Amino acid sequence: MNQDYEIVVGLEVHAELNTESKIYCSCRNAFGREVNTLCCPVCMGMPGTLPTLNEKVVEYAAKMGYALNCTINPISKQDRKNYFYPDLPKAYQISQFDIPLCENGYLDVWVNGGEKRIGITRIHIEEDAGKLIHDDSFTGTLVDFNRCGVPLIEIVSEPDIRSSAEAKAYLDTIKSILEYINISDCKMQEGSIRCDINVSVHKKGEPFGTRVEMKNVNTFSGAVRAIEYEANRQIEVLENGGMISQETRRWDDLKGQNFLLRSKEDAQDYRYFPEPDLMTIVLEQDYLDSIKASIPELPNKKKARYIKEMGLPEEDASLLVETKEKADFFEQILEGASIKPKSAANWVLGDVSRLMNETNKPIFELGIVPTKLAEIIAMLEQGKISSSAGKQVFEEMLKTGKEPAVLVKELGLEQVSDTGALQEIVDAVLANNQKSIDDYRGGKTNALGFLVGQCMKASKGKGNPALMKEMLLKVLEG
Amino acid sequence: MELYQLTAEQLSAMLAKKECSSEELTRSVLNRIEQKDGEIGAYLTVCGEEALKKAAEVDAKRAAGENLHPLAGIPVGIKDNICTRGIRTTCASRMLENFVPPYDAFVMEKLHQADAVILGKLNMDEFAMGSSTENSYFQKTKNPFDLDRVPGGSSGGSAAAVSSGEAVLTLGSDTGGSIRQPASFCGVVGLKPTYSAVSRYGLVAFASSLDQIGPMGRSVKDTAMMFQAICGRDPHDATSAVHDYPDYTANWNTDVKGLRIGLPKEYFGDGISAEVRESVMKMAEELKNRGAELVEGSLPSTDYALAAYYIIACAEASSNLARYDGVRYGYRAKEFANLTEMYEKSRSEGFGAEVKRRIMLGTYVLSSGYYDAYYKKAKFTQIRIQEEFAKAFDSCDLLLTPTVPETSFRIGENIDDQIKMYMNDILTVTVNIAGLPGISVPCGFDGKGLPIGAQLIGPKFSEGTLFRCAAGWEEICGGFDLSRTLA
Amino acid sequence: MKIDIPHLAKLSRLTFSPEEEAKFEKEMERIVEMVERLPDLDASGALIDPDHPMELRKDQAVDRTNRTELLQNAPEVQAGCVVVPKVVD
Repeated sequence: MNQDYEIVVGLEVHAELNTESKIYCSCRNAFGREVNTLCCPVCMGMPGTLPTLNEKVVEYAAKMGYALNCTINPISKQDRKNYFYPDLPKAYQISQFDIPLCENGYLDVWVNGGEKRIGITRIHIEEDAGKLIHDDSFTGTLVDFNRCGVPLIEIVSEPDIRSSAEAKAYLDTIKSILEYINISDCKMQEGSIRCDINVSVHKKGEPFGTRVEMKNVNTFSGAVRAIEYEANRQIEVLENGGMISQETRRWDDLKGQNFLLRSKEDAQDYRYFPEPDLMTIVLEQDYLDSIKASIPELPNKKKARYIKEMGLPEEDASLLVETKEKADFFEQILEGASIKPKSAANWVLGDVSRLMNETNKPIFELGIVPTKLAEIIAMLEQGKISSSAGKQVFEEMLKTGKEPAVLVKELGLEQVSDTGALQEIVDAVLANNQKSIDDYRGGKTNALGFLVGQCMKASKGKGNPALMKEMLLKVLEG
Repeated sequence: MELYQLTAEQLSAMLAKKECSSEELTRSVLNRIEQKDGEIGAYLTVCGEEALKKAAEVDAKRAAGENLHPLAGIPVGIKDNICTRGIRTTCASRMLENFVPPYDAFVMEKLHQADAVILGKLNMDEFAMGSSTENSYFQKTKNPFDLDRVPGGSSGGSAAAVSSGEAVLTLGSDTGGSIRQPASFCGVVGLKPTYSAVSRYGLVAFASSLDQIGPMGRSVKDTAMMFQAICGRDPHDATSAVHDYPDYTANWNTDVKGLRIGLPKEYFGDGISAEVRESVMKMAEELKNRGAELVEGSLPSTDYALAAYYIIACAEASSNLARYDGVRYGYRAKEFANLTEMYEKSRSEGFGAEVKRRIMLGTYVLSSGYYDAYYKKAKFTQIRIQEEFAKAFDSCDLLLTPTVPETSFRIGENIDDQIKMYMNDILTVTVNIAGLPGISVPCGFDGKGLPIGAQLIGPKFSEGTLFRCAAGWEEICGGFDLSRTLA
Repeated sequence: MKIDIPHLAKLSRLTFSPEEEAKFEKEMERIVEMVERLPDLDASGALIDPDHPMELRKDQAVDRTNRTELLQNAPEVQAGCVVVPKVVD
């Protein structure tokens, strides 16, 4: 990208909520069912039907509001957004216009080795539309209304994002928060999170440029490509002396390009007005307080804490906070144990994650008690067992469920750190390997590794390798 | 005396005492429809067989000693914008000519629970837009008092059916006067309940914030019986009120002594015909003679009500009627080149002129740049009107006004003059705008022998007071005279 | 006051013949003149009524779909879906 320019991005994320029923009727909110089997007169917009608002939708949206540090409006309303489309049965979408449920928040994301604050303009509730099924073998389009009325929240950011990397970090963080507070399944392939992107560019030090809206971005990696494509397109236009016009473009992820959908002149007139079939949403302070209290520590905060307070590498911190369960597991290992966070992280990201992949089970169903794993880690750190013995204990513990300390004894894996006993072994090994001693002293330092290995062998794997290495060096260098 | 001529109150007592059966009664009304509806044209759909079947069922229940609802076995007619499962519901529009709802409106569920006998569906102005029932796609309904004249509208079929004995009771809907104005024109009683008292679930929406379903009958008590059966909280309608409704008929009171009746001067002004004004004033005097107190009142913003009403109603209608796009139900044009053309042709061919006018007006007042000047201002005017009513009720219990400035007009007389047609609503729209209950009762006849209606308006949920005053008046009259239309 | 009938018609998905349009324009002008009779008042606040809070619905799903009945009114149905002319977005 041309370094003279700065990109300005604002994102509108639509997330489907994982409630049991739809937002305005009692139809089941589910994905992948047979066409038109999850609908009723209400969500099909039959004459005379009326909406009734699902309380969980309000609760979930308020949760997200608190998670994104928003003000929750104790009094809000819903409005009709009018437009014709075959997937919109009533020819209006019930949404929120001038008084959304949540406003004026922010989100701190970790990007480029530091934290970046991105403003949240608003979060509002609305209904999803149905699905159009296109089939080339057929001259028409089929309409499936199952998705009509699936609850959505729309999270609108301020134009605070300055790069595709920041956009990606923002989207990843939003997704992990939705999962942490368990209000959305966040399944991209099912379209349960989608976004619209506003992009503008300007020369550094100059005022913001004209923004272009991009629709139909269904993956986060697509969002990165779409932003880069659009920024470059705009810069090219400007560099060639052109002007950017305020328009809406449609992103085609397969082609990696976007196309003009409509220009400003064709802008839709949605004729918003207050939804007369619904009354005011009034939320009591006690209720709001209880929702606020239910918000756990969120992944972005955790990640920052792991990096800043525990000294973990960013990579590890990111992986650990990927799911709330993984982070909880990690923290339960550390709880009450005096072990290094990095050791616990290594175990969670190593053997524990491997087991999850192998068994396809959630972390808390692997049969690993975090405090017992902490014992193993402690024994390792204290040099009571070797790392190979540690793995052996771990495997045995999984099979038998026995206490690590018991297993170490039963299996005779206790590491020998008694210098007297070890010295004997070292002396014996040195006595039998004069060639290696010569090699080492002649500059072939890798002979040391061979000698340590011989000591380990002689100790039947129980000798503390670090201690024995030290003893060997003492003789070799002495 | 034929059974079809009696009131629901009389019939309910006779049925209870087994002096007649519901089947006999239903046959009597169906015969009346057969004889009379050719000239009146009140019904769009008559469900004779189903009605007789239901009547027989109710008779069997009664024979088995079941405890039945007062409306059990009473034949009723339903305005054709109220969804009836399995029975065509057209809204008198080509758009819904063949629409058979897959569900019942809340009021239909209530009537089924009460074991009322459903006679069929009644004509109306298309999508309840109009004041003469001339806007029906299917047929014109005639005023039973004069077949050259309109029955009023939009619930013209419901009013004409009750007036002519083609139903004992009917349901209508009232957005700006659509129950009260036809009740006035046809010499019957019509109640527009407090907004939120009767669930709108299943009422095909015209203007959601103003629409209310209400009863029409030949006596005040009949109307009260029907209202009692259909009011109440419905979880399917978010705007439906949680309210404790009294048992109106058990506490029936016709004593008007001590009632403070307000006469708002704006409702007796220049636009009101002398005959109508005199008739209503005479009623006021009679009520005063029985101990009611007359209070002068003023509702200064009445002048703005019609404008505010048409803005709000049409704005909501433009959105409510957008769903008729030929996709899931309703009329679809035969030929079109693409989706947009299918929408435009289906809607242009499916809707009548008045519906299109109101959709266009509604689109206009909501469109970008006009919203604040029209819709928002109208909503603030609505608040002002509500406040004025609240203030008026500080000094009186209810208000008495004419229902319509004039009596029924000739078919075709106003059809090309929308403004003149809209003026029919000038005394009724305020009640919808303020969300109040209003009842129209016959209060005399003009020189042509056409009925004149008086409107009583009360605070929210004051239906009991309206019934009391209306029934007191009915008693003074010795009953409302429908001898000509029931003959 | 000039009312842009073609624009409103497009927004409303209605079409009018030129004769109809001319008639409509006249009628609309009269109606708009009528609805302009509003009081001079401050309409700057938000349209919200905090005095009438809404009772919300419990989040409980009901499985009751009868697809045949729901689609019985549709002008064209194929493979359990409503059919519309090809949509190009």
